Amino acid sequence: MDILWAALLMLGLAIGLSCLIVLFSIVFHVEEDPRIDCVSKMLPGVNCGACGYAGCHDLADALVNGEVKKVTACKAGRRDKNFDPIVEYLKTTPGPNGTTVEVTL
Amino acid sequence: MQYIVSFILAIVSYMVIDNVILSRYFGICSFIGVGNKIKSALGMGLAVTAVTLIAALVCWPLYNFILVPANMEYMETIVFILVIASLVQMVGFFIKKKSISLYKTLGIYLPLITTNCAVLGVVENNMAYDFGRSMANALGTSLGFILVIFLFACIRIRLEGSNLPKAFKGVPIALIVAGLMAIVFMGLGGIVDLGSWGLI
Repeated sequence: MDILWAALLMLGLAIGLSCLIVLFSIVFHVEEDPRIDCVSKMLPGVNCGACGYAGCHDLADALVNGEVKKVTACKAGRRDKNFDPIVEYLKTTPGPNGTTVEVTL
Repeated sequence: MQYIVSFILAIVSYMVIDNVILSRYFGICSFIGVGNKIKSALGMGLAVTAVTLIAALVCWPLYNFILVPANMEYMETIVFILVIASLVQMVGFFIKKKSISLYKTLGIYLPLITTNCAVLGVVENNMAYDFGRSMANALGTSLGFILVIFLFACIRIRLEGSNLPKAFKGVPIALIVAGLMAIVFMGLGGIVDLGSWGLI
């Protein structure tokens, strides 16, 4: 019986806190380049940090902003699965200012 | 009057004498990690302060009014971690909105406040105290964190331009500096006698 109450307590706390987090993410929402999200979905998503950035999202940010020119900075990805689609996507999709980004393998 | 004086003394005591980094060895990861630039050190200090204060404010009533009456004290660690992790997430949103450059400088160390044992250590210690003293603990500890990480960043800026043997460059000399700072802070021990104010 005790374990049920403990689980209920955690459930209630988690629901309350997650509502607060959702509220915060809406109030403090930051407009981002929509390409960053798409590119970070195309990366392997293992967040290994081997590229020198804190996670896949940060590398995607750097790729879209032109800080990193070579998509092979990502050590965990594979060419056919990750790199080719990213190069293709960034070549064809213009950002909010209308220009595309050129990255190489 | 007695209460106010003992509150201030407790803050000073937790800030410099029982310093969270240099004498309790909590929060070393971010201390070494972001203590190389003054701006990132101060940002980290303020983020940890915000998380510690709100966590102490939330966790004390949570423990004393929910967990203790329900006989679920054994749940304290997981409950506190849940609260701290959510707070870190919210502080992250806040910093990202207010200063994207600070968000970028802090990088991975910002979500890692979740596992900063300084925060959990304060909250866990507070369970034995009354509300006033637990607030003094939270405030003093986070002020001590800011103070030490700021001093450390200042020293490391000076070290970057100095002529060091190659083997000591970077983190090794930083660790030696941290050890020397701990010795210096040890010299402050005993300047506030908490016992005579009925605090221990």
